[in-house]
Amino acid sequence: MKEKDSIIDCPQQQVILYVEKEDGKYEPMQTGSYITKNFLDDYELKRRHLEESLKKQVLSGEVSPIYYYMVLEDLTLSELSARAGIRKGKVKKHLDGFHFNALPQETLQRYADVFNVTVPDILKLLTADTDDSTNTNTGS
Amino acid sequence: MSTIPFKHKMAAHCESGAVTSLLNNAGLDITEPLVFGISSGIFFGYFHKMKSFTFPTFIVRNKPGSIRNNLAKRLGIKFHTEQFRSPDEGMKRLDELLEKNIPVAVQVDFFYMDYLPEWERVHINVHFIVVAGKAGSKYIISDSYFPNLVELEPASLRKARFAGGSMSPKGFLFYPESIPVEIDYKKAILKGTRKACFNMLKIPLPFLGIKGIRMFAKKIVDWPSFARDMEHLSHEIMKINILLEDQGTGGAGFRFMYASFLQQGSLILGKPEWSELSKEMMEIGDGWREISLFASRIGKNRELGPDRLKELGNMLTGRADVEERFFRRLKNSLN
Repeated sequence: MKEKDSIIDCPQQQVILYVEKEDGKYEPMQTGSYITKNFLDDYELKRRHLEESLKKQVLSGEVSPIYYYMVLEDLTLSELSARAGIRKGKVKKHLDGFHFNALPQETLQRYADVFNVTVPDILKLLTADTDDSTNTNTGS
Repeated sequence: MSTIPFKHKMAAHCESGAVTSLLNNAGLDITEPLVFGISSGIFFGYFHKMKSFTFPTFIVRNKPGSIRNNLAKRLGIKFHTEQFRSPDEGMKRLDELLEKNIPVAVQVDFFYMDYLPEWERVHINVHFIVVAGKAGSKYIISDSYFPNLVELEPASLRKARFAGGSMSPKGFLFYPESIPVEIDYKKAILKGTRKACFNMLKIPLPFLGIKGIRMFAKKIVDWPSFARDMEHLSHEIMKINILLEDQGTGGAGFRFMYASFLQQGSLILGKPEWSELSKEMMEIGDGWREISLFASRIGKNRELGPDRLKELGNMLTGRADVEERFFRRLKNSLN
């Protein structure tokens, strides 16, 4: 790819591409990410839909907040089990709303560490009022 | 606390970038494409079903860790490496090395690199960064994917270095211990290239090398059966673009950087035919880039019916065909 065809203006995400310079040499150039520049809004839209649909499932008691984060962070059951240091059979139980309610603080903390959130973040999903950062466009 | 005079440079890939920048800072003048080529970085692997992935996926480089290992073997460089059972011990050791002004590369889960935008961060245990000192309690990080040196909270670094799961880092760290005065680059380039040709052409497994590209081409029409819904499928198809372009490849799934390696190799080896081969690899890369753009477009437009996926599969088969011919020729050029 030629250098002039590789220029992408995307300050939020910079990448290195190896391109053909004018003197014919193949060298690195710092430029923007094509997909972030063009399709970040689409990614965010899909992400919001996924969050909303998972949140509904949590509120109906169908799944637990652990399931919510597991799907959102793209972890398999065995990955989550290994990362949290909790047996697979137990993790499986914690994914449903019923068993989740009996979880001790220490177990919640283990999950929170993996998901890089706090225990209150996890518990907040159980309450119906969505937090103000995500529902600014649902008011009117 | 310690601030090591460390020259930060963005790089195409995290592992070849970390290795290159540690070596550059230790006084060895070597480029990232040479590091990548000598260590036989170029590769392909397709994984249709795996315990640790929620969806079929593919890789475009060799196994994490092999860049450092292969390079060390082929250039005679000695890297000091360590892993730890206890996070306390692992963090203490890192601090001791920084106190001695030694910049250290560490393996981390990419997800906890808080300085990167959220949409980029995924749980993947094989990201490599260089820790180049401390500012108060925070660590100074040189990450190939970030334009400048950046700070990271100790709690985040600790979580990232000791994340569990597949390929868990266990606090792995490394730094160059000794670099030979005389290095035989010619021999190393030939050896790295021979191995790369073997990896692409000869590994007797149906999902690795050129065979892996063919498997990917065939299986992509099955992807809808793994998806929750259309938006999920769209997300995964668009991830093809991210894996080929954005997740540290230098563009076109490392094919552009490999072209640069061949160009540099042609001068070092005095092999004019490699200059031709490097041009060809650049064109092969252009084809991969087309695949990336096509995938992101059909994903965005939700045009993900069987016809479109088949079209994508055909484009992949096209890459398998040209790469098969290419690596045969590259192999013959070594004799």
